[in-house]
This record gives sequence, C-alpha cells and structure tokens, in this order.
Amino acid sequence: MTDVIVPNDMWDDDREGVIVSWLYLSGASVTEGEVLCEVMVEKAQSDLLSPASGILTIVEEADAIVSRGQVIGRVD
Amino acid sequence: MSSERILTVARAGREAVMWEMENDPSVFVLGEDVFTFGGVFGTADGLGEIFGPERILDTPISETGFIGLATGAAMAGMRPIVELAFIDFIGVCFNAIANLAAKHQYLSNGQVKIPMVLMLGAGGGYNNGAQHSQYLLSTLAHMPGMVIVAPSNAYDAKGLMHAAIRSDDFVVYVGQKKVAGIGLLGSPIKTSMAAVPDEPYTIPFGEARIVQEGTDITFVGVSWTVHQCIQAAERLEAQYGVSVEIIDPRTIVPLDREAIFKSVSKTGRLLVADEDYQDFGFTGEVIAGVVERDPTILRSPPVRVANPNVNIPFSRPMEQRVLPTADRIFEATVALLGL
Amino acid sequence: MTPTSDQRKAMYTSIVRSREFDDRILELYFADKMPVFDLGKGLIPGEIHSSHGHEPCAAGTMIHLLPEDTITASHRPHHQAVCRGLDLSKLAAELMGKKTGYCAGKGGHMHIYSQAHNFSCSGIIAEGMGPAAGVALANKMRKQPGIAVSYMGEAAANQGAFHEVMNMAGIYKLPYICVIEDNNWGVSVNKQASTAVARNSDRASAYGVYGEYVEGNDCDAIFEAMARCVERARSGGGASILEIQTFRLKGHMLGDTMDYVPKKEIESLKDCVVDYRAKLIEDGVVSQIEVDDIIAQVKKEVDTAIQFGIDSPYPEPDDAFNGLFAGTSR
Repeated sequence: MTDVIVPNDMWDDDREGVIVSWLYLSGASVTEGEVLCEVMVEKAQSDLLSPASGILTIVEEADAIVSRGQVIGRVD
Repeated sequence: MSSERILTVARAGREAVMWEMENDPSVFVLGEDVFTFGGVFGTADGLGEIFGPERILDTPISETGFIGLATGAAMAGMRPIVELAFIDFIGVCFNAIANLAAKHQYLSNGQVKIPMVLMLGAGGGYNNGAQHSQYLLSTLAHMPGMVIVAPSNAYDAKGLMHAAIRSDDFVVYVGQKKVAGIGLLGSPIKTSMAAVPDEPYTIPFGEARIVQEGTDITFVGVSWTVHQCIQAAERLEAQYGVSVEIIDPRTIVPLDREAIFKSVSKTGRLLVADEDYQDFGFTGEVIAGVVERDPTILRSPPVRVANPNVNIPFSRPMEQRVLPTADRIFEATVALLGL
Repeated sequence: MTPTSDQRKAMYTSIVRSREFDDRILELYFADKMPVFDLGKGLIPGEIHSSHGHEPCAAGTMIHLLPEDTITASHRPHHQAVCRGLDLSKLAAELMGKKTGYCAGKGGHMHIYSQAHNFSCSGIIAEGMGPAAGVALANKMRKQPGIAVSYMGEAAANQGAFHEVMNMAGIYKLPYICVIEDNNWGVSVNKQASTAVARNSDRASAYGVYGEYVEGNDCDAIFEAMARCVERARSGGGASILEIQTFRLKGHMLGDTMDYVPKKEIESLKDCVVDYRAKLIEDGVVSQIEVDDIIAQVKKEVDTAIQFGIDSPYPEPDDAFNGLFAGTSR
C-alpha cells in the first residue's frame, strides 16, 4: 500500500489547497507517474502524480481542503 | 493498462493537440501567451516545455497580423493552431478571419486549402464585463467558410480537436471558459468531465449527440448551455415528471438539423438555449431548421432562451438576468407547458 | 519646466491615494474567492488589473491636464481614474457592481466612464487611441481648447490601431498624446520578444510626431516630459508619443503568480511610492510628519469609499435592459 500524499514542495508556505478534480474514480487501476488529480492553491494549479501502480482508493474527494503532507488517497 | 481517466475539457483538448504535434511536424501553435503561460485559459498548458519556442510561438498582441500569418502558413501546407484568448477580440481581426481564412478555399475553387484551427475562449457568467464575456458564436457562424465546433465535455473536446487539426478546412474551436475546468473559474462542471480514452479518436463534424432521451420536450444547448439544460431537465423531471430530451449539436457549422428534427418529431416541443445574443442568431436558426421542413410537428410555439440582446452588464444581478441559466430554462418550460 | 514643491506634493498624494485604494481592493479581492479560485465570486468579481507600480504614469501626466481635456484609459485604469480626480466612492461601487457606481454596475473594472471628467475606458488594448484622437479632431475642428490623452501598455503598441491612429494624428496634426506605460510585459510576453524596437517612442518618427522616453518611473521626470508634450499639443504643434518606464508590481492581473518573470527582474522592481517619498523628504519638500498626515488622510478617504461601496445596493436584475439606446433625436 502506498499513500497518495500532497507533496511538501507543491507550494512553499502553510496555506491550504483544494482538490480541484480527480482524474480517476476509486477502484481504478493507475500507473506510477500518471496525473491522479489537480490541486490548487490560490490561482496556481498543480498536477499530483501517482506514487505507485495499483488500485486507487480516494480518501479526500474533489473540493476537499487539503494541506501539504496530507494523505488524500491510497494505491494498493 | 490503466482504467479510463476522467478529464476536464481543457486537459482533453490539450491531449489531442499534443498527440497531433508529436505525430505531425507541420502542426504548430501560435498566439498570445502560449509559450510560457500555456494560454490564458490553459489551452496550451505545458506545451512550451515539450515542444519549445520553435513550435509554440508567442505572438505580439497583433491579431490581424498573426491570424493572417497563420492563414499563410496554412496555405503553404502547415497546420497552424492559433490561440486567441477571448472571442471578444475577433473585433480587431475579423477581416483576417472572415475575409481571408474563411474565403480562400472557396474563391480559389479549391486550389488553396486552409488546414488551420482557431481556438477561442468564449462566454461569461463571471463578471468580467462587456468586452470579455461575449459568446459571439453566431457572428462567426453567419459567415460562410468556417467549420465551428463547440464541445460541452471532455470526450467531445478531444475528439473534435483531433478532427479539427486533421481537417483540411478552417475550423474554429470555441472553448467555453466555464466549461474548460481550469480552476480559475471555480470547480469544474461535473457533467463536463468525462471518461476519455488514451488513444486518439475523431468525432465527425455535423453529428449531434443525444445527451439524454425524453418524450415531452426537446432542449438544444451549446457547450455551457448543455449543462444548464441538464440541470433544468433534472428539476423538471423531479418536480413535474416532465421528460426532456437534450440534444448537443457539438458542431454548429455544419449543424445536424436531422437529429434535431427527429427529436422534435418525437417530443413536439422545442426549446433552444444559447449564451449568445438572441436576435438573428443560433436559436432562431435551429428553430427555422425545424419549421421550414414541417411546422406541423410542433405542438406548441418554439422557445428561445438566450441573451436578450443587451450588452453584457458587469454587475452580478444584471449579468445573471441575461444569462441563459438553468433557472430561465426551467421557468420557460414551466410556462410553455402550463405547469 | 520642473515641478514646484506644491506640484510634487500633489503628485505624491495622488500616487499614495491610488496605492491605498488598490491595496484595499486587493485585500477584498482575495478575501472571498477561495478555496477553489473563482473569478466570478465575491464582493469584487472579475479580473482586476491593479495599478500597483504604475501610479507615476498617471500622476506625472494628469497634473498638466485641464477639465476640458479628455482621457481614454486602459484595461488597467485605477491610477488613471484616481489621478484624474474621479470620486473614490463611485469608483469602488462600480468595481463591486453596485447601483451607485459610475456606470450603475454596467461597466465594472475595465469600463469606467465619467463624462463629467471626460474620462472613458476600453478593455480592448490600444482601442482608446482612436476615440482620444477623435476628440482631439473634434476640438480642432470646432477651434475649442482641450487636448486628448490615451493611456495604454507598451504591448498595445503592436496593435494595428496604434499604427493607424498615430499616422492620422500625424497627418491631421492633432492635439493628442499617446501615453505608453512600459512595464516590460504584455501579460506573459516580454517586450523584447514582442517588439522589434527597444522603445515605442522611437516609432514617432514614422508618423511625423514627437516622441520621448522617460526612464525610472519617476514623477518629476514624467512631469517634465509631459510638459513638453502638452505644450506642443496646446500650441498647435501636433501629437506626441510619451513612453514611460514603469513597473508592474502585482502581475498582469490579481492572482498572477508571475512564474514567467525572471527572479532577478522581480528583485529589481522599484516601488515608486517608497522611492518618491524618500526623494521628497530628502529634498525637504515634505517632512515625515506631513507624509504620515497625507497617508492617514488618504486612508480615511479610501475607507469611506470602500464602505460606501459595501453599503450600496445592487441594481435590479431588470436594470440590465435599460439604456441600450438613447432613443432621442436632435
């Protein structure tokens, strides 16, 4: 099991971000390095890449407020 | 092998541009803020890094010049994709669009081809004032010589972009800003996101999509208004049990009049929703396409829900009043059916 | 012609007024558009091109203008409106889309009109040039006083309108000045990448008009250069292009992350409000106490204006249908 984590270097202060959209549904098989979801801080949007290959489980749905380092999903 | 991805409209369209650029060296992008900025509405996001400044060309703010230039490059056999951030700006380059790009193929009797795509960001509803909120689809559609596509969802966005780039004709690709799902204008519209295959595919011009089947009334919408139709239909079904059929023409020129006629033949009622100015526009054209063929299929007068021909006011209450929102579509249907 | 102490104080007050106004707008703008950024949300919706850094371009030029002169402003119009003396309350109300705004909410940030100030706006770049030159032509035809000045960014000089209008300004010898605020960037495109000459003022010779470039974003230098252009326009000497080096401190629009601007350039951006204050204190024009008074006074004005906007009612939805035509005849 690998956690999908909002990378600490996605932005460089303690603001909160938001998940704009997931590109897959829970239960989808995903490949390492693919874009999994879009995260936004103020007006800057970033792609979050899959940390592993496997089956995705979404923990935090689209529109959820997230912090850096937070676990937002799992890949099994 | 991955499962199907669910993409935003902007991402899906961009994927098609990327694939075509990788597979055809004659495809290139030019326009305002495309290289480092990725296009004001994200249409070229990341392309500069992949393809470099030789194929992703930032232009000065000289629309007449660069659309003319792209027309020439297309005449010479390249396949330019031109980015114009706001459709409102066609005002400063209408000659290059309507008198050059849209006329060469015809006037030369087919000697000259214009395999060019013009990408435009269009539409309002986010308080950006009268010069940055217009839809202007009918202004272009009124002029002969342009294929015009207006995707409402990610699947169509990718397929229509592949078709647009591969076409030997001048194609105007109208992206609705709120449909794009770029984060600048809030969360993506859920019904605009769709499962998109990895492989390239095309959607033929002039082929409408039946968004949902129904029996009491036909709604025809374009891009953003497709989603307004969906929302209105959900409420009509829930509150009054009205069964709505929704048609998304996907391409405006050529228009799939057959699909619309067939649907209205079944439902007997027609409502057309469009964000553009109502008078002399798309809504009237769709209705004319039905009634000039057979007016007796209509059980009640056709309905238009569009901008009531005023300039788009900045202030929120006034702008919301002139937009063809789900509320207006719902109310117009309630009034039509006497519910 | 160098500015007097009073004129310098007036220019300083103008740039502070514009800055304080934009600081409050910025603060309110970001307060209610999150978490997913939505341009259409909040008290002040839509794009805002703030004037942070551009203030001297208006303060140093408008000080020479008279009530009968005409201004066409750009898509970045706040400093132009503030320095022309437009009412901050009606301006704030317009940015909020309120009924009490200059255009009763129809215009918004890029479309501020005040006929009483001969002030209008266009959000399409360089498109203020034609109307300004047209007012200049009308004044000339009717032998009336009054010159016209259009404001725009340096990237707008690559529009067809620039060439067309400047050529006509040259052949008709119009009392017209094209002020170019050169912040080095057209949205994300650097001036070097978009413009074949280093200075748009050099293009003046192509149209038989006067051209001048001012470096440093300094009110005093702008004042002197504008004095020459205005003297020429008022005395029948014809049109000018006045290009002014300036600095865009908050990007193209609020929320622009400016990733495309080299770090070195961001570090070298100069803040005119800080610099001009230091200069005036050094020259003994104002004391620190006077500066504090000016800032306190302006803050009060801005507070009142913002509160007026917040307290004002929205227009009725059906007000959208009013005023498309005048409906009157001579």
